[in-house]
Amino acid sequence: MSFRERLQSWRYNLVPDHLIGEILSKRWTDNAIPFLALILVVAGFGSVIPGFFKPASLQDSTRQLGEFSIVVTGLTVVMLGGGIDLSVGSIFALATFSSVAAFFIFDLPVWVAFLAALATGCVFGAINGYLVGFLRLRAFLTTLVTFIIGRAIFDILIVNYGAAVQTSTASSDTWDFIGDGTLGGLSIPVIGAAVIAIFTHIALTRSRIGWHILAVGGSRRSAHNAGIKVKRTIFLTYVFSGLCASTAGFLIACRLSGAGPGTGLNMEILALTAAVVGGNSLGGGRGSVAKGLMGAVIVLVMNNGLIRLGYGTGTNQMVIGIMLAIAVTIDIRWLKNRHKVLNEVYVAPIYLKMGAAQSALPGSGTPFALNNAISQTDYIGLGALEGPEDVILDRDDHLYCGTRHGEIVRFFAPDYRRSEVFAHVGGFPLGLAFDRDGNLLSCVGAMGLYSITPDRVVTRLSAETRRSLTSVQDDARLRDPNDLDIAPDGKVYFTDSTKRFDAHDWALDSIENRATGRLLVYDPKTGATRTLLDGYHYLNGVCMAHDGRSLFVAESWACRVHRYWLEGPKAGTAECVIRDMPGYPDNINRASDGTYWMAWLGMRTPSFDLSLRHPGFRKRMTRRLPQDDWLFPNINTGGVVKFDESGRVLGTLGDLSGRSHPMVTSMREHKGWLFIGGILNNRIGRLKLDGADPRWTGPTSYWGERA
Amino acid sequence: MTILDPLLDLFRGKAVTVPPLDGAFRPNRLLDEASALTSISEPTDLAVKDGRTLVASGNAVHALKADGSTEVVESFTAPVTALAVSPTGALAVALDSGRLFVDGTEVKLPDGINCLIALSYAANGILLIANGSFLHRPTDWRRDMMEKNAAGSVWALHPDGTTRRLADGLAWPSGVLADGAGVVVAEAWQRRLVRIADGRSQVLVSNMPGYPARMSRAGEGVLLAVFAPVNRLIEFVLQEDDYRRAMMAEIPPDYWIAPALASGNSFLEPLQCGGIKTMGIHKPWSPSRSYGLLVRLDRGFQPVASYHSRADGRRHGVVAAVTAGGAIHVACAGGGEILALDA
Repeated sequence: MSFRERLQSWRYNLVPDHLIGEILSKRWTDNAIPFLALILVVAGFGSVIPGFFKPASLQDSTRQLGEFSIVVTGLTVVMLGGGIDLSVGSIFALATFSSVAAFFIFDLPVWVAFLAALATGCVFGAINGYLVGFLRLRAFLTTLVTFIIGRAIFDILIVNYGAAVQTSTASSDTWDFIGDGTLGGLSIPVIGAAVIAIFTHIALTRSRIGWHILAVGGSRRSAHNAGIKVKRTIFLTYVFSGLCASTAGFLIACRLSGAGPGTGLNMEILALTAAVVGGNSLGGGRGSVAKGLMGAVIVLVMNNGLIRLGYGTGTNQMVIGIMLAIAVTIDIRWLKNRHKVLNEVYVAPIYLKMGAAQSALPGSGTPFALNNAISQTDYIGLGALEGPEDVILDRDDHLYCGTRHGEIVRFFAPDYRRSEVFAHVGGFPLGLAFDRDGNLLSCVGAMGLYSITPDRVVTRLSAETRRSLTSVQDDARLRDPNDLDIAPDGKVYFTDSTKRFDAHDWALDSIENRATGRLLVYDPKTGATRTLLDGYHYLNGVCMAHDGRSLFVAESWACRVHRYWLEGPKAGTAECVIRDMPGYPDNINRASDGTYWMAWLGMRTPSFDLSLRHPGFRKRMTRRLPQDDWLFPNINTGGVVKFDESGRVLGTLGDLSGRSHPMVTSMREHKGWLFIGGILNNRIGRLKLDGADPRWTGPTSYWGERA
Repeated sequence: MTILDPLLDLFRGKAVTVPPLDGAFRPNRLLDEASALTSISEPTDLAVKDGRTLVASGNAVHALKADGSTEVVESFTAPVTALAVSPTGALAVALDSGRLFVDGTEVKLPDGINCLIALSYAANGILLIANGSFLHRPTDWRRDMMEKNAAGSVWALHPDGTTRRLADGLAWPSGVLADGAGVVVAEAWQRRLVRIADGRSQVLVSNMPGYPARMSRAGEGVLLAVFAPVNRLIEFVLQEDDYRRAMMAEIPPDYWIAPALASGNSFLEPLQCGGIKTMGIHKPWSPSRSYGLLVRLDRGFQPVASYHSRADGRRHGVVAAVTAGGAIHVACAGGGEILALDA
């Protein structure tokens, strides 16, 4: 191995590139950027400003944070519903004035002052909600208008009654406690904010109205079509926002015991920046309370930090403005391009050096030499059938196969001209096997292991195994269950070919070639599924040996066949019995003469083998070319290979013409005939075998003569 | 388009794009539907002499007979690579070994002419020679392309035996045609037609969807053979130097990711995702290393119409076309056939 190749193998096999794609496919990555910004801002200002983390300083900051985040929570809900509320600042100010006036001028109790604040918020919120929700005015302009009017009213009131508030002698312990006191070390605004945040979070994620808000924000029309009362939902979000803003106004009234011209000034810009910087989408439907809170902390720390560092209002507002611009850009770009980024980075190829293979060229004299033996078969279901990955015959000679439409189709003996849908399972039924009782078991791509009784009752046997400890993506789920076979004791041994791609993207796994194939066993007695082998390059066909003491399993992309021992001294271990084949193995099944049939789904090509040693080449290929142009293994030529118990290859049947069976994924011998299926084919082929036992059938070989 | 794209491109590289088959290149099945005049193994060039179509194939020049059979006109010791007939009826034959014969007599060529890809006579009896590359023989065209060479030249051989180089530094000139005072050259690896006059060159057609080759007059216009299609994967491999060098060092040329005159004949050839046969269908629009394309150019060498054999067809690798007796005869190297189209 050259130095360059060694470097490549280290670079691509040791660095877990695939995790980038797996992490990006998680929903929580939406939070990653705001969270990073949060840490940077807090750490940055914390280290620059002396005493930033001192309790007294924190106590003061957190009071302010509490009030602010209540406002942001309200705004977040409006934004999730697809709207925007610019009037939060003036509602906040008016609510402050209401409570201050109630308490100081009219000398009313604290709870009345609180109610006065809430009533103010409720009225303004309702006006916004009515205009935006029911009259369907533009949210931006409407709330801008309420913002201006609200602010004007506040300015008039504060000029006329500001002095009366200041000269009042009213006082209350409750009022002071809300403003200055702590409960268990936490100030009232923080507790209030936490309660509101938790309540809102639960409401959004787990209640009917919360789901309605998200649905309306995600798509107004779809929500309407789904029967959601869109207008009312929008109305309620504005009322909620008003209530939140007024609660915060009441809290600041208690803290400052007064209101001034600066109360709530620029609050709407700060709150909006916080909500967007936290990662709530301006378009609605995407976001959470937690994001709003993160944004609130970022904006407030930034704002206060800059003030304490001695920067003026201008600088401060500029920074906030820039933050908002960046957040909006990221929000829109990210939302639009996330799936593209994911598509681009998901395939993360590894380095693999394939062993030199014997030639499969006709006339090469090797047992692998291809010919045209299966280019002339009797077609079954030509044109009526799509994607018979596996084929199987029952004791009455009827033929079964899966289709890409999620059906199991049965062709009737003896001529296989008539067919019926035996059962509809869904997914993509792949491997098939009959158990002792005549139930048809199938590995269904993208779904799991299923059983179909002779009277067509479909039952799921298994769809998950134990999750491995280091997985990022949930690998308990079976992504590509591929083939199965049943041991004499009834245990079902089956493969899950890849953890990285869904069943219909199986061929993409060959480009990446990451070894994530598994051999699993399902125990019908306990209903449990266990992982026996993990870390193979696309484990595919499974076949019980004739004596039932071991099984053969094909490792497609590595062109190998392994023998896994169920009994005897090597029980629980696998040994490689055929390696470095010139073709990619698929299903394996028993032959009548005590040997085995193996399907080749495709052939190795020198150019593809070389690309396996150039992972960077494959990686760039997946990023710069559309998928149709990617280099694939040659899966336009397949074959059927016969091998014996020791792994010695006896001969190969091929279709070099590519007319009948370009790709072969399965074959079954039955009463002297060989039935051939292909996952991308539109027919099953039937070939008369010379010298095969005309009475031998699969069910008899597995389960003996009919009882 | 975003402002971030140029920045991101540094990390992800540009998407590889190819010109679409549109306008004059809109696909059809005219080559697949054309009648075959004869089957002949890997024809390389055509010429018309005394109303008879001559075909270069193997080590010989064959003449096409009316009954569809062929007879050998002249045999040589090396594969014939190009033919031309002078206005006075002299037959010029170029060999893979770099030798040139006019009416059976070898013409001494100066050093530097060793890879004769195309011949064409101007009206005044000057023989124009397209010398593909001073590095390789004509049959090694794939290697020259994958090495990204521009080592070709165009020469004029005067009736008095003197030669003059008209241009050099060309990327595999594979077609040449006199046009008034100048010469039009098909520069294959650049996928363009260039007009050379008085030492100056002017691009006539650029970014063609395939590799252009020989040209011939057809009435007012010109027939242009395009011997292989441009393919995104191949363009990508041309950017990937490590892989490309390893491929050239380790793999036989027939199995390279490179253009071909015919494809799908061996399971050892590279396959692209779109080329997978699905439900018994090979998609005609799938990416392919070989294609059949004959283009009709107007007097100004602009494409106006085309004849196709698509990815699922067999008549790939159009290397030459001539007008003979009111029909267009097309040499299709991939299919091993001479086809007749209505002129």
